[in-house]
Amino acid sequence: MTTLPGLSLSAPQESLPQVPVSRTQDLPAGSEYRFEVPFSRSLGVKLLSGTAELFGTELAPHTKDPYTFSGIKAAIYTWHGCRLELSGETESEYTAEETQMMSYANAHFALENVRERAKASGQMGPRVLVVGPENAGKTSVVRILTAYAVKAGRQPVVVNLDPRQGMLSVPGSLTATTFASIVDVEEGWGSSPISGPSPVPVKMPLVYHYGLASPEEGKTFRPLVTRMALAVTSRLEEDAEAKTAGCIIDTPGAISHGKGGVYENIQHIISEFSVNVLLVLGSERLYSDMSRKFSNSPSEEPVSVIKLDKSGGCVDRDEPYMKQLRQSQIRAYFFGHGVNTLSPHTHWEDYSSVHIFKIVEEAKNTNRSFLPGDDDDGFASTTIYERVQPSPMIQNSLLAVTNADPNDKQEAIRDSSIMGYVYVADVEESKHKIRLLAPLSGRVPPHAMVLGSFPEDVADLVG
Amino acid sequence: MSFALPSAEVAADFKDALQDLKINSRPEISNLTIIAKENTEHAQAISRELENHIRSTRPEWKLPALYVLDSIVKNVGTPYTVYLGRNLYRTFMDAYTLMDMPTRKAMEGLLKTWKQPVPESMDTRPVFPSEVTRDIENALIKYRTVAIQQQALSQKQALHAVPARPMPATPWRNTPTPPQSTSRYTPSNDPRVRQAIPQQYGAQIPPTSTPPAQFPPGTNFQDRGASIDLDKLNSDIEKLISSARSEWALNPSDTGIQQKLKALFDLQTILKHQQLPPEQIRQIQDQVIQLSPAPAPSAPTSTSVPNSIPSFPSVLQQSATPVQPSSTPFSLSQFLAQNLPQQQPSSTPVSLPQILRQSVTPAQGSSTPVPAPPVYRPSVQPAPTPSNPPSLAQLLQQFGPAATPAAPTPVPAPPPPMSLAQLFSQPTATANPAGGADWLLNALRSQNLLGANNGTSVPPAPAPMSVSSIFPSTDPVDRSWSSSVRIENDVELTTASITKKSRPNLIAKLYEALPNQCATCGRRFETSAKGKEMKTRHMDWHFKVKDPDAAKRGVHRSWYINEREWIEFREQDDAAPAQASNGASDASGMLGVAKKETKDQYIHVPTDAALVHAPCPICQEKFEPQWLVDANDFVWMDAIKVNDKIYHATCWEEYSRGGGVGGGGGRNTPDSVLGKRKAEVSTNGLFKKTRAD
Ligand SMILES: Nc1ncnc2c1ncn2[C@@H]1O[C@H](COP(=O)(O)OP(=O)(O)OP(=O)(O)O)[C@@H](O)[C@H]1O
Ligand SMILES: [Mg+2]
Ligand SMILES: [Zn+2]
Ligand SMILES: [Zn+2]
Repeated sequence: MTTLPGLSLSAPQESLPQVPVSRTQDLPAGSEYRFEVPFSRSLGVKLLSGTAELFGTELAPHTKDPYTFSGIKAAIYTWHGCRLELSGETESEYTAEETQMMSYANAHFALENVRERAKASGQMGPRVLVVGPENAGKTSVVRILTAYAVKAGRQPVVVNLDPRQGMLSVPGSLTATTFASIVDVEEGWGSSPISGPSPVPVKMPLVYHYGLASPEEGKTFRPLVTRMALAVTSRLEEDAEAKTAGCIIDTPGAISHGKGGVYENIQHIISEFSVNVLLVLGSERLYSDMSRKFSNSPSEEPVSVIKLDKSGGCVDRDEPYMKQLRQSQIRAYFFGHGVNTLSPHTHWEDYSSVHIFKIVEEAKNTNRSFLPGDDDDGFASTTIYERVQPSPMIQNSLLAVTNADPNDKQEAIRDSSIMGYVYVADVEESKHKIRLLAPLSGRVPPHAMVLGSFPEDVADLVG
Repeated sequence: MSFALPSAEVAADFKDALQDLKINSRPEISNLTIIAKENTEHAQAISRELENHIRSTRPEWKLPALYVLDSIVKNVGTPYTVYLGRNLYRTFMDAYTLMDMPTRKAMEGLLKTWKQPVPESMDTRPVFPSEVTRDIENALIKYRTVAIQQQALSQKQALHAVPARPMPATPWRNTPTPPQSTSRYTPSNDPRVRQAIPQQYGAQIPPTSTPPAQFPPGTNFQDRGASIDLDKLNSDIEKLISSARSEWALNPSDTGIQQKLKALFDLQTILKHQQLPPEQIRQIQDQVIQLSPAPAPSAPTSTSVPNSIPSFPSVLQQSATPVQPSSTPFSLSQFLAQNLPQQQPSSTPVSLPQILRQSVTPAQGSSTPVPAPPVYRPSVQPAPTPSNPPSLAQLLQQFGPAATPAAPTPVPAPPPPMSLAQLFSQPTATANPAGGADWLLNALRSQNLLGANNGTSVPPAPAPMSVSSIFPSTDPVDRSWSSSVRIENDVELTTASITKKSRPNLIAKLYEALPNQCATCGRRFETSAKGKEMKTRHMDWHFKVKDPDAAKRGVHRSWYINEREWIEFREQDDAAPAQASNGASDASGMLGVAKKETKDQYIHVPTDAALVHAPCPICQEKFEPQWLVDANDFVWMDAIKVNDKIYHATCWEEYSRGGGVGGGGGRNTPDSVLGKRKAEVSTNGLFKKTRAD
């Protein structure tokens, strides 16, 4: 296992010193500056004139400090033309005149029309599901739609069902968040709450732990979707602002593969979230399958199935990059990001006071037949988790602290949203003690903690 | 309980002391600073007193008063920086425009130090937030640019041997000799002004020596539709100006030409110093084309560039071809108004006044309004007061032909024209967003140079092409907003509608409709009163979250909220009006706990200075502000407001129960909220108890 430099408690990684080389980049209206910055470097961007946005969120005009990007592949688009000042190094960069922004913006305006009507009639706004193969730009489109909705004064609930990349939490989690404030430009979706003021408003995610890499492998994905859909629907019903705006759901590419033309997970998400707008990105075949299946099903509310082209800027992200991305998300959970440094805490616990439930993986459990949402069915509780004692085996792994009691039924543990994560920094087998890195001081409540195989262990998070 | 003096009394004392301050006297200034320091609970009242004094005192006494302000913000700091920062733009600019050059220089010196941290202080923040000082700087640049323009104009006039302007029969202000009436005009004659420009730009430029924020010529605004060439546009306007000037030289008594010239100058200034959205630029471009004499039918319209605008006839040609019968008063706005309908059939018409209004808001962020939008009203029309700044209009009047009622107006009955001034004098005074060139435009408006009050040519009633048809004057506040958002959104939820048709005009809903941008984070606001209010609160919020000590205090990530809390959580917009934050009302969005426990009640830290420093009347302990994520604000925990007094909620509870029940015991513990999750908050059975307590 590789060690990430700078991942230590005493010296959280600071952004690299600015390379003094700075240059200006003029972008004509309707073009975008695409760039990739590895984790080892950083790029500073200032907007000198004109307007510019990163995945829908506008850059502030001539700020004192530049926006700083590291470990990112992204594009800065301009509707009106702009001049940027760039400093630092990229791995690759170019300007593209051909983008999909007009379509994506149109998609936003189409949703705005639905929202207007929903508002007028007191109905719920659009429930939008974004599907498509890996790296088709789904997450980018969700960000653009979210940013534009926020700009239009909406408060959409944004749902991330892709465990491979966290949204306001670590990878392995699934989240739902109402966005009412500006989406962070530098750091993906921004930050969940911290104990002090934050220069960019924090977001309030509702977090569940999935703990596996793909929704296709486990048996907890669909029950979790059911559970999240209930929570989201309740919020939409009760929160007038969110209700008008509706929700936008991001998904992993895996559910769009459609083994043998079957899309069980998509079907499940559509019915649980009452999806009525389906955006299909970058795949003719998927679009045709989706239209056939959902656009004119007579029984239920019709789903508008819309095909969007993949942006030419989308880049495939290889496994080493994804892994670095995961580790940086985990690091940011405990230590913060950029100048917003956080101070987590470590402390020792007795073995007896931690209650660890390890997810039983598919291979060990051949029973695949379950019904969606069957929370309290006849399955033996032991099929979801096995209880494990702390041991050196779990060192460097991440535990999800649920809101459930260790004595609750396993389904209750599965369905529980989580309080957060702790990291197993050390295990003293001889003393039966375990050292946990927790986001804040004080004892971790004695709730059930879930251990999955994903994300993988992070070595040396604590020095 | 010791009761402090009421604010009014302290403020009155402070005011008295201020009245005596007539020179830059160290002891007096430090005495005033001490009063301020010892009475921070009355900071608001004191700040208001100081602002009033600076505004109303004689010009030569303003500088010492500004030194008092400077001393207080540097030596006492908050909360004065907050209160004085809100109106600093106005306080500063009001005074600046009345000062002579040396005093202005001194004020610029002050401003410079406000952009830096207090010398030898631990606090690394500038004295005032940069948003505040930047606005003033921007305004100064504009102010001087106008002065230079006038200087250039007057030189040209001299060259053209324009007959000397007769001394106006009445002074331009009808006040008795103002203290500094002569020095007022120095900007246009003072050669230093010219040097000040590059210098000032240098000061505005961020450390990296970037060029002044403007759209790079040529690279921008090349939208898919008509191409926009700013350089071309500027030179076209330049040509129009010089032709209008020659025209004027021939007919110095023609107020119409004068008006046109004025309008063109305004346009030029705006183009130079504001970043307008391309759509508006395009419209200006169109109007400018209209303004120039129509080229001959065989004019080279068949150039190779399909969308390029027709080239202009030479200046000579132009001056030989009066744009309109010279006797007809004429204004750009008139042209704009006339051309509106056919120019923009599909999208909202944009007129110059509208552009002016929008552009004074930093549409693209070239300047930023200050937190509390200063409403610059130099004077009431009929009786200008000494606080009148010299305006472009006044400067123009200096060398323009007398535009007095006495001037002969040989117009037979011209179609009632609309002048800029007329448009300006619409109820825009309140509609105008603050910042940028606002003060200048207001000054122009107040001077009514252009006919509204000075000419026989302007009828009292709106002209046929009615202004109010463009802007319903009933609600001046929402005009620019509503006009921009009324762009029709015809996108349907179909693949064809979304992907096959490009609708660049809809993008205006995301940009031009929200022209008032926060320079710190890029968030946009409407120019309506509501938008301005929101932005003010938003800027206050930015100010509050600038916390240099955060790192020291060991900020950590919080636990996530649980399902029930999340469902009941309502987002708090930092720009939204503060909620009824009384703990008892439970309207404050406190973590979705159905019934809050007494000690969890909180209120937002009051802004009223008297309340901020008052202890709990029951136990006499002071309240400690603490950051509450859920409120997105600093709050006092365990606090409740009853009859305008703030108590500890626990103290109040105990007191109101006659001291019976305790409950004021432990403070919040990190998971107390979770601990309260009880089965009974479940509404539909979904949220069963998942944790036994
Ligand atoms: N227009 C663009 N220019 C440059 N990079 C882009 C652009 N659009 C997307 N990207 C980048 O391409 C990568 C893939 O995009 P994105 O994450 O949106 O795809 P996805 O469909 O969500 O992928 P996954 O299936 O892995 O979740 C990301 O790193 C993203 O930042
Ligand atoms: Mg994705
Ligand atoms: Zn802001
Ligand atoms: Zn008390």
